[in-house]
Formats: sequence, C-alpha cells, structure tokens
Amino acid sequence: MKKLFITILSLSIITSCSSDLLDVNPEAQKVSSQFYTNSTEIEQGIISVYGSLQYVGQYQLAMPALGELPSDNTYDEVPANDSFTYGELDFFTVQANNSLIASAWKDNYIGIQQANIILTRIGGISDMTDALKASRTGEMKFLRALMYFNLVKIFGDVPLVLKETTNVNDYFGQPRTPAAEVYSAIETDLKEAVSLLPATAAQKGRVTKGAALGILGKVLLTQKKYAESLTYLSQVEPLGYQLLPDAAKIFDVTNENNAEIIFDVQFASGLNGNSEGSTAFQMFSPSGSVSGAKGHNLPTKEVYNLYSTGDTRRSAYIGLTSSGIPFSKKLVKTSNTIADGGSNCVVIRLADVFLMMAECYARQNDAANANIYLNKIKKRAGIAEVNFSAASVLLDEIDRERRLEFVGEGQRWFDLVRTGKAVSVMKNYFANNPGYSTAQIDSHHLLMPVPQGQINTDPAIKQNPGY
Amino acid sequence: MGVTDALDINQSITTNFSKAMKKTTISMMLLGLLCVPQFSHATAKKCFQQSVTGRKTPLNKVFEKLSKQYGVQFFYSVSDLKEVMVDDSQMNYRSLKESLDYLKKNAGLDFNVDRNTVTVRLNPKAGSKIQTLSRTTSADYLSMVNDTVKSREKAIDEVVLVGYGKQSRKNNSGSISSIDEKQMKGIASGNFGDIIAGKATGVQITQANANPGGSPSIRVRGIGTLTAGSNPLIVVDGLPLTEGSNLNAIDPNSIAKIDILKDAASSAIYGSRGANGVIIIETKQGKNGKMNVSFDTYYGMQMRSDNVKLVNAYDMATFLKEARDNNYLSKGSNRSALDDNATRVSKGASLRELIPTYLAPYLAKQPGLTDTDWLNTVMKPAPISQTSLNITGGSSTSKYAFTTSYFNQKGLVIGTDYEKFSTSINLSTDLTDRWKVGITMTPSYATGTINASNNSRSYNPLQMATATYPFFKPYNNDGSLAISQQILGNTATDGALVENPVAVQEMTDRKYTLFKTFGNIFTELELMKGLKYRFSVGGDYTNYEYNFFDPSTVGAYRAAAPDVTFANRTEYIRKNYLIENVVSFDRKWDAHRVDAILGQSFQQEDNSQLLTEATSFPDNSIRNIAGGTAFKNTLTQYKWRLLSYFSRVNYTYDNKYNLMASFRRDGSSRFGKNSKWGDFYAFSAGWTVSNESFFPENNTVTDLKLRYSLGSNGNNQIPNFGALSLMNPDNYAFGNTLAPGYTTATAPNPNISWEKSRSNNFGIDFSLFRNVLNISADYYILNRDGLLLDVPVPQQSGFSTSLQNIGKIKNSGFELQIASKTFSLANNFTYSGSLNFSTNKNEVLALANGQNQIITGENNFSVTKVGGSIGEMYGYNILGIYKTQAEINGSPHITGTMVGDYIMEDLNGDGKINVDDKRSFGSGVPKYIIGFNNNLRYGLFELSFTLYSEIGKKIYNADAVTTLESGEGFGMASQYYFDNRYNAATNPDGFFGMPNMNFSNNRKEARTSNLYFKDADYVRLRSLRLAFNLPQSMLKNIGIENAQIYMVGNNLFTLSKYRGMNIDATSDNVLTQGFDQAYYPVARIYSMGFNLKF
Repeated sequence: MKKLFITILSLSIITSCSSDLLDVNPEAQKVSSQFYTNSTEIEQGIISVYGSLQYVGQYQLAMPALGELPSDNTYDEVPANDSFTYGELDFFTVQANNSLIASAWKDNYIGIQQANIILTRIGGISDMTDALKASRTGEMKFLRALMYFNLVKIFGDVPLVLKETTNVNDYFGQPRTPAAEVYSAIETDLKEAVSLLPATAAQKGRVTKGAALGILGKVLLTQKKYAESLTYLSQVEPLGYQLLPDAAKIFDVTNENNAEIIFDVQFASGLNGNSEGSTAFQMFSPSGSVSGAKGHNLPTKEVYNLYSTGDTRRSAYIGLTSSGIPFSKKLVKTSNTIADGGSNCVVIRLADVFLMMAECYARQNDAANANIYLNKIKKRAGIAEVNFSAASVLLDEIDRERRLEFVGEGQRWFDLVRTGKAVSVMKNYFANNPGYSTAQIDSHHLLMPVPQGQINTDPAIKQNPGY
Repeated sequence: MGVTDALDINQSITTNFSKAMKKTTISMMLLGLLCVPQFSHATAKKCFQQSVTGRKTPLNKVFEKLSKQYGVQFFYSVSDLKEVMVDDSQMNYRSLKESLDYLKKNAGLDFNVDRNTVTVRLNPKAGSKIQTLSRTTSADYLSMVNDTVKSREKAIDEVVLVGYGKQSRKNNSGSISSIDEKQMKGIASGNFGDIIAGKATGVQITQANANPGGSPSIRVRGIGTLTAGSNPLIVVDGLPLTEGSNLNAIDPNSIAKIDILKDAASSAIYGSRGANGVIIIETKQGKNGKMNVSFDTYYGMQMRSDNVKLVNAYDMATFLKEARDNNYLSKGSNRSALDDNATRVSKGASLRELIPTYLAPYLAKQPGLTDTDWLNTVMKPAPISQTSLNITGGSSTSKYAFTTSYFNQKGLVIGTDYEKFSTSINLSTDLTDRWKVGITMTPSYATGTINASNNSRSYNPLQMATATYPFFKPYNNDGSLAISQQILGNTATDGALVENPVAVQEMTDRKYTLFKTFGNIFTELELMKGLKYRFSVGGDYTNYEYNFFDPSTVGAYRAAAPDVTFANRTEYIRKNYLIENVVSFDRKWDAHRVDAILGQSFQQEDNSQLLTEATSFPDNSIRNIAGGTAFKNTLTQYKWRLLSYFSRVNYTYDNKYNLMASFRRDGSSRFGKNSKWGDFYAFSAGWTVSNESFFPENNTVTDLKLRYSLGSNGNNQIPNFGALSLMNPDNYAFGNTLAPGYTTATAPNPNISWEKSRSNNFGIDFSLFRNVLNISADYYILNRDGLLLDVPVPQQSGFSTSLQNIGKIKNSGFELQIASKTFSLANNFTYSGSLNFSTNKNEVLALANGQNQIITGENNFSVTKVGGSIGEMYGYNILGIYKTQAEINGSPHITGTMVGDYIMEDLNGDGKINVDDKRSFGSGVPKYIIGFNNNLRYGLFELSFTLYSEIGKKIYNADAVTTLESGEGFGMASQYYFDNRYNAATNPDGFFGMPNMNFSNNRKEARTSNLYFKDADYVRLRSLRLAFNLPQSMLKNIGIENAQIYMVGNNLFTLSKYRGMNIDATSDNVLTQGFDQAYYPVARIYSMGFNLKF
C-alpha cells in the first residue's frame, strides 16, 4: 500500500511541476502580441479603425451634437436629462467633466492609436500587394487626419501622437501640441492620402481619393488657405460625384452611399446582434416620438422657418411631429431597438464641396465662380438662383445656404467658429429666443474644455482659458 | 499542524467551541451529539503503544468499561487525558462511585455526575500527581453551571482550524476568529455570511444587495486593495473555493465550525491568495456512536425595514407644479406662473415648463383621487422558510454525516423569488489501523431571479418606484396590468417616462438556475508513528443558466409598449480541481511538541460562458432565445492554474512557549512572464505568561498569553489575463455588410504580479475574575504594496488605463473581544455574552508615479488621495440657499446659479467655485464595528439577541441625488425633501433647493455635497431569538431527546439617521464604497420554528 501512495505522490508532483503549466493563454480572445502578422489580421485591425468612427465620442453622438447643438440650428428639448450633458452645450455652460466631451477626446485617440499601429505594422506584412498596402495606408492616414481635425476643431491644441504606443507611461508630461502643428500634421497625412487612395473603392463606405480631397479642402479652408483649398476641392467632382436631383433621396436609408456622398460613417440596423447601429436617432428625436427619444439635438423652429417657400429641402430634411416639433429626417428610425439606428452619418458630400468652393471663390473675390457653385445648391433645392457681386453678401448667402443645407449634419457650429460669427450670431439668437434669457457666450466658448479627467491624470495637460 | 490524532479531531468537532462561546452553556443540540463510547480505534491503539507495562491502562479504556457497566456517558478532553494511565487492577468496578473515587485519588481527576452523564476534568491541584501530565491551566476547563437542566461542563481543548490542519488554540499565536454551529442560530438566511455578522472581531459583513440568493460581502480587517478583488479566500473542508463564490452554495446547516484567519501569519500558508483573509469552514462530521438525527424547520415573514417615505399624490402635484413653474419663470421674462400651457408654448416654453393636465384635480385638492404608494406596491410582505435534516453517526472505523436542506425565500421586492436544495455528505472510514479514506460532497441546486441592482429605470423596480408618480395605478379597474400609462400620460410634458414596475416584474422573465457541487476525496496513511501522508483530490463544479425575456407588450424607460421583444441567455460551466499532497508530522516528548507539514498542491480552474442575445422576434409566444430570428453570441473564457509548495513548523515547549514558521511558494498563470513565482513566509510566537512559575496564583488575572506574528502574503485576485494585451472585436458595416475587425483593447504588462502584503499582529489573551471574562485583544499593522491599479494614463496613448502593480496602502486596527462565561444571575437564570469591537483605519501611501489621486464614481464623488483613506467622499460644503439675485451676484458662484440654488463655500477663498473647493466628508468605511451577543436562559426558556453597530461611515445616496431630494421635479420627492424645500412664500427657512426643473449647473455640482453624504451610523437588533425547550419528562417516552420551539426576529429595529432603502448599501468597487442606488433592501423578518433531536 505504501508503494501505491509513493507512486501517486511522485506522479502528481512530477506532472504538476512543469513551469509551462503556468503559461495560460485566453482561448476566446485574441492577444495583440500574436496579432497583426498577416494580411487578414492587418485588415481586421484596419476595420477597427473604421469601427472607431461609430463610437459615441466620434460620429455616433459627439460630432453631430458638438458640431451643431451650441449653434442656432438645433436645441436640446430636455436639457436636464442625461445629467445635463447636452443641455450644457445648448446653454454654453459646459463643464470640464461633461461626459460627451470626455468621450470625444478619448474615442478619437483610440481610433488614432489603432491607425498608428496599422501604419507601423503594415510595411512588414508579406502576404499583401504593394498596391493594397498603399491604398490601406492612404485610408489610415485619412482617418487619422480626420480624427485630429475633429479634435483640433473641438479643443484647439491637442497632444499629437503619430507613433504606435509601446509604453503607456511615455506620455506622462506631454503637453498639448499647438493647433498649427496639428494642422500641419493633418495636411501632411491628407496629402499623402490623396496620392495613395484610389478614386473608387471596392467596398461602399471605404475611404477614397475624393474623401481625402474634400477633407483636405476643408482643412485648408478652415486655415483660410483659400487658393490651395480650391486646388483640391475642384478635383472632387470630376471623380464622378453628383448632386442628387431629389434632396429627399440623399438621406434615404434605402439609398445610402449614393453618388452625392463622398464619405460617411456607416451604421446598419439588425446586423450582428444589433451592434452596428447608432443611438443617435433616439437621442436626437423629439421626446415621445420614438422609443427612448430624448430630444437632445432638435432643429430649431427658427431654422425650420428660414426655408423659403418652395425650398424642397425643408420637407426633405425636417419633419414635424404631431405637436409641431421639428425633427431631422437625416437620422431615421430603422429599427425598433433603441440603440440600433441604421442611418449613416455623413462626413462630407458633394454639396459641401460646392459650397466650400463657393466660399473660397468669394473669399478670393471671384464672384462669378462663387455664384456658380452657390447656385448649384439653390437650383437643386428648387429655389431662385442668385447673382451677387459683393463678397460679403455672397459670404452671408453661402453661410445661410450651408445652414439650410447641412441642418442636422453637425456642421453649423464649426462653420460659425470658422467664419468668426459664432459670438455675434449666438448673442442675437439668445435675444430672439425667450428660453435663452440666462444664456451667455463669449470667445472662450469657441473651444470646448479639455476633459477634467485628462488634467487630473496628467497636469501637463492644461485647461483651455475660461474654463 | 495538521496531525492531531483521530480521536482528538472527532471529539473536537463535536464539541469545539470558540473562545467566546466556551463559557456559555452547552446547547442541547451539542449535547445530543455527544455520546459514549466515542473512542476511535486508531487512538485506542496508539495509547496501548504508549503504555509501558501491561498493568497500566489508558483512561479511555477505563471509561469505556465504566460506561458499559453503568450506562453512563463521559465527557472529557481527549488531548489532556489521553496520556493518563491508571493501574485498573487496583480498581473496584463494583460501583460507579467507588470507581470514581479511586480515580479521583489516583489520577488527579474531578468528576461531576448529573444523571447519566459524568463530566471529567483534571484537578489542577492534583496535577502533579500524574507524571505524564503536563501542566494545564484552569482556563481549559469550564466551571460548572449546575443549576440548569442542560448545562454541562466541558473540559475540551478549543481547537482552531488552520490551513491544512487544526491546532489547539492555546498553542496558536495567530489571530483567528472562531464561530461555531451554536452561534449560527437566530438569523433567517440561506447563507452563512448573514449569520456570522457581528460574531467576530475584524470581520465586516454587508448585505449591500439583499436580493434573495445574493451573497453578502465579507471584508476581513478592512480593505487593502483598490482594484483587485477584496473577497477572502473560502476553504471548505480543505478545498479553496473559487474567488467570489456565491456563499449560498454552502448550506449553513451543514457547517460545524468557521474560523477566520485574520493575520498574515495565519493566512500566509495560503500564499498568494491569503491577503484578504481566509475563512475556513468545516462541515459536520460523523462520530462513533449511535445515530443522531436532528430536524429543524422555520417559517417567517419578511417586511419592509427601510425608512424611505415618499410624498403622497397631492404633495407630489404641488411639487411638480412648483418645479415646472420655476423652470418656466427662470428661462424668460414676461412670464407668469398663472400662464396656461398654450401661453407658455407661445412664450417659447419647452416641454418641462408645461404643467401636466392630469395635475389639475390634485392641485384643486379634490378628495378620493388615485394615490398609489409605489414603494409599498413593489415591496410586499413575503414568506421565508427553511427545513433541514441532519444525520450523523458511525462505528469505531467508519463515520458519516449527512445534511439536507430546503430553503425557500420569496422576495420582499415582488418577482424576486429564490429556492434552494442543498445536501452535504461526509464519509470516512479506516481501512486499516493506519489507512483512512474519506469523501466530502456538497451539491446544491438553486433557482432564483436576477433583479437589476443598479441604475436602471427600465428594470430595477425600486428605482422605477422612485420615478413613478402616485397619480397612476398598477392595475386597471378590470384587474389587468396597467401598461405604459405613465409614459403616455407624461409624454406631452416629458415627465418621468417610466413603465409600471409591477408590469415589468410580472411580464419579464429573469430566472436563473445554479447547480454547484464541490467536495474532496482523500486518503491518509500513517507511515510511522507521528508521520502521516495525505493525498486529496478536490473539485468544484458550477453550472449556471440564466434566461431573460422581455416581451413587446410591456414598455421600458422612455419607451411605451408595444416596444421590441428581446431575450438573452447566459450559460456557464466552471470547473475547478485541486490535487494536494501533504506530509505531516506530530511528535511530543517531555515538554516539547513539534508538528509540521510539508505539502504541494496544484489547482486549476476553467470557465467558459456563453451569452446569446436574440432579437427580431416575430411575436411573444416563445419566451426565450428560441423565439428570436437574429442572434449574437459572446463567448468569454478564462483559465488559471496555481502550483504551490508549502511548509509549516510549530514548536511548543511546556505549554509556555510556542513558535510557528511557515513558507509557501506559489506559481500562478495570472502573473506576467517576468513574475510567475512568489514566496510567502510567516512567523509567530506565543508566550503563555500565566504558565510561568513566577506568575502569581491569583483569581483576578489568569491565562495570560501574549502573541506576536509577522507574515507576508498576496492577493492574486487580479484579471486572469491582465499581463497580456487583449483584443476585442470592433466591427464595421461597409454598405450594410458586416466586416469583422479587432482592436487592441488593453495595454500589456509582462511584470504584472500579485499584490503583496506584510502584517504585524500583536495580541493578548487573558481571563479575569476566575475566568468569568475572557478577553482577547489584537492590534495590527498591515502594509500592502504593489497594489494593482488600473492606472489612468494620458489618453493620447490610445488607452485610458493600464494595469500596474503600483501603490501602497497601510491598514491598522484594533480588535477587542470580551466574552463572559455562563454565570448565574439567579436561581435557574443564567447569562452569557460577548462583545466585539473593531476599528480599522486605512491610509493610501502611494499611487502610480505622478498620480496623486483617483477620482471616480457617480458624479465623481469618490476621491482616493495619497495621504487620505480609500474612497473619501468629496464635495462642496453647502452654506444655505440663495434667496435673491443680489446674493448670487455678491458671492462666488458657478455660472448659471439661480435663486433657490445652493450657496457653496469658497473653500480656498479664490473668489471662484470650482473643483478646488471640494473637500472630504468621510467615507463609506465604518470607523468602528461593534457586535454584542447575549444569551439568557431561564429554566426551559432561552433568549438570545445580537446587536450590531457600525459607527463613522457615510453613504452617498444616489436616489436622493437624482430624485428624492434633488428638487428637480422629474422623479418622486421624499417627504423629507418636501418638508424642507425652500419656498420663498411657504417655507423661507427650507434648506433644500427650490424645486426647479431647470436643472442648473449649481444643482448639478451640488450633487456632490454634504447634502447627500449622509451619516449612516447605526445600531441594529440583528437577531432576537426566544426558545422554549420541552421538558425531558415529556419527551423521554416518545423517543425524542430534545425538542425546542423558537421564535426569531431579525432586524427588528435599526437606530439611524439615514434615510434609505438599505443601510448596508455599498458598491462592489472598493473605490466607491458607501454608494447607494436602489439596492435591494434588507428585510425585517419574523419567524417561528422548531427543532427536534432523536
């Protein structure tokens, strides 16, 4: 019997003594140290960069809300709901601990880091053609530039990181990079993207040359480099984009990725356990109109009333609830599930390119061309064309046209900031709208506060003035 | 130590008592378990080996003979008497009295005879007569309380369970709290956690979420970690259970003894798992002798014990009108509270500035309108019952114990019922003189209901009840459930769009089943005298299945029915197994005693969990995932392995000095590549001063013992794959076609390791006044470093946090236990009791490099700062209410502050109100914990009660913050808020902000302020138990040994200023302790039962 025990003892000790026993890897999750080794995995990594566009802090909620809610185009119907997160944007009482602001910072950097990883690793992949590598590199540079562009528009100076992170602690002590430097990095990325990207992509929703040209044009316009902007913007239409004759078709969910769309963030309902949809239609629909509606970003009555008679866009872009509350038709309910809206979020479309061109021409006092491009939009809207000669009149008209054309697309606030009209326009708006008697705006509101959490984490990150 | 002889173990299990209860009278229950002859074969054998000549006979043999001859039972301490030899040829067995007299004279024994029971103790004065007898002190004996029917003196060594064995308490120098079976009476609950609260020093039990079937949380000596797990290791019959195991899997009825190893020296034998303390549980074992059967059943009712009071419908109408009027008036000029809704709309009012039309009759004070008390609608008195049967017995070679129980608890909150069947089986047999085998199995099967415990206005009925207006009814007049009436009624004015909580509870399915079995098979071989080898294989298997179904016919928050149907299902199987080899040694010579163990173990756990979410249901006819047409599956899996080598040596000299040293080496798969192995050591020493010859004989202070221990151990409750950089799926939909993607979700850290702790424990034990009071005190300092932190990192890295071993925390505390022996207050009237007192203080010494605070929690209320303690509640100090605009203009204020808002203290005097003006108002960790247990006995009546108190803690009440006391006008107002709200006309001295739906920045920031950091000191009568023992004369003829009828009340009263559902409320996250948000309340329970022994 003793022998039996000794046998068991020695057996169990021997079998359990090997140190390999302690190397246990997950079986239901991938590990990044063993990833990004072949073209399939690199492609999966690239998809996740696109995937980050769907994050709350990017195009699911933050860009439409931050780009429009502070402006005169939209308002928050139930400001106190969701901890005043959206109401603060509407009333210019934004606090540094606003959760949407925090998401915007974080989610853009997650996407940027994923793009950095791909850009670092893609060169070493052996089973991928150079042509494919080139276009994927272009896609990543475009997306990285787009995210930095959004960050710099929202926050001003932001830390610039263009490398894969190897040690997270390396970033402690890194201050915010001046906006001019960030812009220069954005331009570099976009210019490379323009040269690397194909005119058309095999898959709908992928980045193409047109997207890079359009966004580069907007980046340059934002920096008031009108002539240079025009050189890129003017290359867009020849790639085959067209204004849809019927404005109502642009945002029709059955007609997504149409000829007018240059780049949009893809959402789909009913896919993969409802994980590819957006909550935006619920957050931004009038309270009670759809399940879970919260009315956080509704078109104002003022903008609704601004469309002239016969303007087909009013009914194409804005609906009215039974109680007369305007809502955006650019985001529609495509599913009964609250978090599963299928409307894509448009980043840039041809109408935007035309109006930017009109603006660039007007800024350069080329009224003829400015009128041509402005009228392309007016014509499609079914309203009278114009022929202005004074640049200032033209610019005001373009501004108004942009307001009407892009309502609900997260453009208006950034347009107001870009054109320097934000403070005066909003003061005027507050005066005319009784619900805003307590609202106040001054120049520091042109930038959002840096998330308090980031300042708490690393005091090298300084707050924007005024917050 | 591990190797006490078999008899010692058996005896001690039947009768071991904690120090506290040692002085109490022996319960009938225990008495019933004790019977003679109860000498195991193995021990008898050993004693013969020890005898030098044939003429000397061991005492137990003598007792055996006497017991056979005269039909009496003997009680005695085996370890003290086993070496006593008598020459029984000189003995006269003709009469019991003569025999006992002979032993009195020649063996230095004292006897107490009560009917058929003979209690034996060593006569201390005669101790020197017996050469082999080492000196024992009177502390080892209980003095007799001979005026009660059932009380018995018991001279049994108290034995404590230590890792991989047992030890006599007098030879142990660690800090161990013991709770025995008898102390576990008096609480109606399905788990032992609730039952032991207040019974041991240094142990805090909180029922933060008293959902039937839920586990309370157990904290041993405060919190020493920030982000790793803080649950103690639970070891049942030698098998360490999975971390965070549901305590309900262990049937309290099957437990014989619980020991809690608190100091590092005691728990260091569990190495990398010992840092949060170790709870060792021993289930009931069989004994040599006749079969003992015990049957217990009770039935009780659970009632609300909270003190939350909401306003009635009329006050609610007033409140809503004020909130909406003030919102309307604050947002524009030329407005009047008299404006009707149409006028308001024309003046630009938004939805929340309008007055719901249904309020009109309430505002007009029409009598007899609907006025639903929703808290009393979602909480109903509910029954709780338990029945258990326990059978033990055995022969000289085989022993058995069998417990089976059925527990049924209906939820105090509707729709949260729980039911459990559990069994525990213990079998052991001596195959030969030296070879023993045994098996322990504990299967249980439970069904319960998941109740959303936190922030959910769609599913948590308690939270829904605080946002459901009294103007609506749960049922229609025809008795059917009212569906979405509040949502539809409130849509026009955007009030609280909450579904009827009764409908949600009744119409959704939230049921789980949990099957769990764990156990051990062991074999033990005595290789030579004092040297044993034990091999055991243990397993812990859990199978869980949860089905959730929400039909379209009931709505959800902000979504009226019909909405979308969906279902999900979670299944997991967890397998844990353990192989253990332990060699133990135990020898005694002259005054020396050495016992030692050397062991090795290997444990592995596998878990895989599948979550299936189903959508696109064509209808509601199939109430599970099978009814869906679109599915998403998520598989989560983990595995860990732990390979360990351990050893411990105990040395005792002359019952005066004892030394212990232990060492363990653990290798864990959880740790990073560069840090797989860790070493843990411990050392302790004890000095029984009162056994020294210089210690004066006196009746005041006796049994004085000093203890010191030092040890290190670890906390390995860190993520299974925390060292690796993991990837998560992150897909995209190109043109509505799914494209699979993966994103790097966590930053890698190959150096990740366990958290290390090092503790020093100083202890003193002594008895006062002829052992009337036994006092035990401990002071400890527990330093932890290498704390695992999810360190916030600059997000431009692409990551928000990184898991790193960084940070230091110091815990120190004092523990005092005063236990009285059973003493007589009057004829037939006795008392015994114990008082526990614990303090704990923690201090954060370091966080990550460059990090000096962690700010987290709802509204960032919790701040953990270097130099402070864990999770302090930070906020503004509210000085009063702004009553005029001039007051606002004339003082520092947050942008957007309005009349009726709060005046905040400008703490740093910089003329601005911002985060720098927040200060600490305390934390959710109590400074003092007090437990007071009392047992009174008068004739056949027994009365026991336990008071439990926590002092110096705060609760951050999110229900008050977001609804009850916010004054926002969205959810319900509490009566307290309503009575104390500021209203310039009707209540100018109110200290709560004016009702206003224009929720200003001031109000938002005031969410973290002294208004909502509530004092939560309390004293609670946790249990009150009154029992009546049926007289023996009645029972004798019907074959019942004992019968008791009892009444138990739990939580009968709670003295506290706190207004909330559950004063134990806390979050699982140690950083946000004291956070309360509609946690499941603890019930007041009235129950009755009876107990029979055959």
